[in-house]
Amino acid sequence: MRAVRGVSFEVRRGEKVGIVGESGSGKSALALSILRLIAPPGEVVGGQVWLNDRDLMRLREREMAHVRGSEIALIFQDPMTALDPVMTIGAQIVESIRKHRPDVSRKEARDRAIELLRDVEVPLAERRIDDYPHQLSGGMRQRVVIAIALANDPPLLIADEPTTALDVTTQAQVLDVLERAVEERGAAVILITHNLGIVADFCDSVKVMYAGRLVEQATPTDLFRSPIHPYSEALLRSIPDPARLEQGPLPTIPGAPPSLANLPAGCAFEPRCPLGRGVAICKNTAPPVIPIGQGVAECHFAEERWADNETMRKEAAADDRS
Amino acid sequence: MISFLRMRLAGALATIFGASLISFILLRVLPGDPVRLIAGPLASEQALEGVRRQLGIDLPLPVQYARYIGGFVTGDWGFSFTAGGPVREVFASRIAATAELALFAFVIAFTAALILALLATYRRNRIIDGFVRVISTFGLGTPQFWLAMILLIVFFEQLNLFPGPSGRLDASTLAPPRVTGLLTVDSLLAGRWDAFSQAIEHLILPALSLGFVPFAFLVRLLRANLLEMSREPFIVVVRSKGIGYWATHTRHVLPNAFLPTLTASGLILAELLTGSVLVEKVFAWPGIGALVVDSILRQDYAVVQSFILLTAVLYVGVSFLVDMLYGVIDPRTRNPVSQRG
Amino acid sequence: MSAQTTIIKRTARPRITFEGVTAALRFILLDPTLLIAFLLMVLLVGLALLGPLLWGIDPLKLDFGAVFAAPSPQHPMGTDSLGRDIFARFYSGAQISLTVGVVAVVFGAVLGGAVGLIAGMSGGWVDVLLMRTMDAILAFPPLVLAMAITIGLGAGIETAAIAIIVTTIPWYARLVRSDVLRVRSMPFIEAAVAIGMARWPMIRRHVVPHIMPTLLIQAAASFGYAILALAALGFVGLGAQIPTPEWGAMITEGLSDALTGRWWVGVFPGVGILLAVTAANLFADRARDLLDIRAE
Repeated sequence: MRAVRGVSFEVRRGEKVGIVGESGSGKSALALSILRLIAPPGEVVGGQVWLNDRDLMRLREREMAHVRGSEIALIFQDPMTALDPVMTIGAQIVESIRKHRPDVSRKEARDRAIELLRDVEVPLAERRIDDYPHQLSGGMRQRVVIAIALANDPPLLIADEPTTALDVTTQAQVLDVLERAVEERGAAVILITHNLGIVADFCDSVKVMYAGRLVEQATPTDLFRSPIHPYSEALLRSIPDPARLEQGPLPTIPGAPPSLANLPAGCAFEPRCPLGRGVAICKNTAPPVIPIGQGVAECHFAEERWADNETMRKEAAADDRS
Repeated sequence: MISFLRMRLAGALATIFGASLISFILLRVLPGDPVRLIAGPLASEQALEGVRRQLGIDLPLPVQYARYIGGFVTGDWGFSFTAGGPVREVFASRIAATAELALFAFVIAFTAALILALLATYRRNRIIDGFVRVISTFGLGTPQFWLAMILLIVFFEQLNLFPGPSGRLDASTLAPPRVTGLLTVDSLLAGRWDAFSQAIEHLILPALSLGFVPFAFLVRLLRANLLEMSREPFIVVVRSKGIGYWATHTRHVLPNAFLPTLTASGLILAELLTGSVLVEKVFAWPGIGALVVDSILRQDYAVVQSFILLTAVLYVGVSFLVDMLYGVIDPRTRNPVSQRG
Repeated sequence: MSAQTTIIKRTARPRITFEGVTAALRFILLDPTLLIAFLLMVLLVGLALLGPLLWGIDPLKLDFGAVFAAPSPQHPMGTDSLGRDIFARFYSGAQISLTVGVVAVVFGAVLGGAVGLIAGMSGGWVDVLLMRTMDAILAFPPLVLAMAITIGLGAGIETAAIAIIVTTIPWYARLVRSDVLRVRSMPFIEAAVAIGMARWPMIRRHVVPHIMPTLLIQAAASFGYAILALAALGFVGLGAQIPTPEWGAMITEGLSDALTGRWWVGVFPGVGILLAVTAANLFADRARDLLDIRAE
C-alpha cells in the first residue's frame, strides 16, 4: 500500500511551503520519507529528493545521517512524546550539536544550547537546560523540539503538525517563535498541517494533499480566494469561521478518504466530489497535472473553474489595489 | 515520595511477617513431630527433651511463635546436627561460596542477555532474533540440574576442558588466605595466579548452569522492552538529529528499556536462590544450596527452616530496594513535576 | 425476539461444540508456534497413554542381565544401573508429570479463582486477610516454598502436588480479584444493583467470559511450572520416592552414572521435562501475543 504517490514539488531557499490535507492523507509519511526515516516494514519504493545538487535517496546511510539534523531538520508533531524521557533537554540539544560538529567542546555546546533555548523563548534557559522533559509543559517542550531542530542552522526545516497537540494560545506563541527563528536564519520550511489557518498566516505557497497526491498547488491568496480543486474548496469550507456561524452547522466533506490499498482508477476524490461524482471521465481517467495561474491542479475541471473564477479574482485584485 | 516509601516499607514488613507465620505453621504446626523435625531422626532422647524445652512445645502457639521469631531476629537459628554447629555459623562459613557462584552466574547471564538482546533488536536482525527467541524459549523450560549434568558430560567427561564436580579448587591446591571469602578475589589479593585461574575454571560450568534460566528470562524481557522503546516517537526525533542507528539504540532505546527491566530483579534473585540449591548439589559446590539439599535428605530441618525464612526476607528486601532504586534512577520519579513553564 | 435471546445466551455462555473444537484445531494447525506446541503435547500425551499398551515393559522390572545397556532397538533409551528399561520409565514419567501438571492447573485455578472471587466480592477485612496471605505466599520463591510445604507434609508425589498447587494459588487469585473489582465498579452493574438485582449472577456473567483468556494463559504457564517444580522436588528427594519413575528423581539417579559414560540414564528424562515445559510456554507466549494484538 502506498501512502505517498507521485508527489513532486520544489522548495526554494527561505521559502515557506505548507502541505495541507485530512488525517491519513499521507502528510507525515511524506515528511519521514524525505528524511528516509520510514520505519520498517515501510519503505520508500522510488523517487528522488534533491537537496541542492544531491539526490538524498541515493546517499549512503552514513551520508544521509550527516544530512539529517544539519541540512534538514524535523520538528515533530507531538511534543509530549518527542523527547527522550530519561535525558535532560540540554543533553538532547548538545547531542545534536556535537554529532555534526565534534570539534565543539562540551562547554561550548552547552552554551550554544542555552542560547538556542533563549532563541525559542524558554524562560530561565540556563536553569531549564538541566530539566527533564516531564518537568516542562507541552508548549515549552515544543520549543525545546524546535531548538533541537535549529541546533545546526539547517537550511531546511520540516515541521510536521508542530502545533496540533497544543492549546490555541500556546499554538500562536510557538508559531511566532518558529517564524522568528526561521526568518532570522533564512531557512526554508515545509509546514505539514491540517490547519488551513496556520498556512494562511505562515506560508508562501500551499500544496493540498489528497490520498497521497498533491491535488493542488497555489499561493495562499489564490487558494483562499478561489480554490480550483473541489477538494481544496471543501477543505476551506470546513474551517470554522465566526462570521459564518449563523449559517448553520459547519459543512463537512461527506465520505472518507479512500483506502490507499485500493485506489480507484480515476480521480481519487471522485466518489466524494460534488462536481465529478458519477462523471465518466472523473471515474475512469486519472486527472492530469494542469498548470493554472501560478500553481497547478489535478482536476478535469481545472481550466473551467479557473476561467469561472477569473472575474472574481480580478475584482478582488482591484479591491486590493484601492 | 516519602509517604510512598513509608507505605512500601510497611507493606514489605507486613509481607515478611506473613511469610514468617507461614514458615512457622509449615514446620511447627503441620502433622509430624516438630521435635523430630528439628532435632533430626538420629537425636537421642536427651537431645529431644532439650529441643522440647527449647521450643516450649507445651506453651500456647502465639508464645511459641514469638519465641521463634525472637530467636530468628537475634540470630539464634538453631543447631545443625549434620554440620555439627549452630546454623548461623554454618551459613556464615558457606555464604561466600554461594555468593561467588551466584554473582558469576548473574554477570554471565546479564552480559550475554544484554549483548544478544541489543543485537537481536538492532535493525530487527532476523537471524539473531530468531536465535534469541528459540534459546530463551528452551531456557525457560530447562531444569538447571539437568543442564548442569549435560555440561559436565560434554565439557568434563568428553572434552575434559573444565574440572569435574570437585568443589571450588582442585583438591591439591591450597586455598588463598581468606579475606573476602570469594576465591577469585582472595587469590588475586594474595597474588596467587594458579589459584585464580583454577577458581575461574571451577566456576564456569556451575555458573553457566545457574545463569542459563536467568539469562533466558532477561534476554526475553530486554528484547521485548527494547522493541517497544524503539517504536517510541522520540526515537524518530533522535534519528532526525542525524544520530546513527547503533548510537540511538544504545544511548536512547537501551536506557529507556532498561528501567522496566530493573523491576524483574526480584525474580532473577529468586531464580538464582532456587537454582543454587539445585546446581550446587551437582557440582559438589560447598555453598548453602548444597547444604540445604543434604539437610533435606538427612532431615536436618533447622537448616532448611532458616534457609526458607532467610530467602523470604532477602526476596522481599530486594524487591523493596529495587523499588527505591527505581525511584532514584528514573528522572520522572526523582524530580517532582513542576509547572513553571 | 426469540432469535435475539438465543444470540445473547450463546455469547454469554460459551459451549464446547464440535464446530468450536474443529475451528480451534484449524487455528492451531495454521499457526507455526501453536502447531509446534501442539505436536509436542500430542507426542508426550501419546507416549504416556499408548506407551504401556504398545511397549508394555514394566518400568520397575529389574534385569541384572542388561545393566547399563546403551540405547538400541531393544532398549530405545537404554537401561539403568538395575537394568530397568529407560524408555518404559520415560513414558511412565510422562504419565506422572502430565497428571500432576493437569491436577495442579485444575486445583490451582479453582482454588485461586475462589480466593480471588471471595476477596473481590466481599471486600473489607476478608479481602485484606486473603490478599495479605497471598502476598505472604508470594514472598517466597515458589520452589523454595514448595520445598518447605513438602517437608511439612512429608515427602511424596501427592504432597509435592499439594505444595505446587499452594504456590500457584496467588497467581490466579490476583488475576480474578482485580477483574472482579473492575466489573464491580462498572456503572451498569452499580445501576443494576441499585435497582435491586442480585450482584452475584451479574458478576459471574461478566467476569467469567472476560477473564477466560488470561486464565488460560496463566494455566498454560502454571502447567509448565508444575512440571519443572515436580522434577526439582523429585531431584532433591522431596517428590517422588525411589523407585518411582519420575523424571526429576530419574535425573538424580542418572547423575552418578553420567560421568562414567552412561549418559542416557539421566539425559532422557531431562529431555521429557524440557519438551513438556517448552510446549506449555510456547502455548502461553503465543496466546499472550494473539490476545495482545486483539487488545490493540
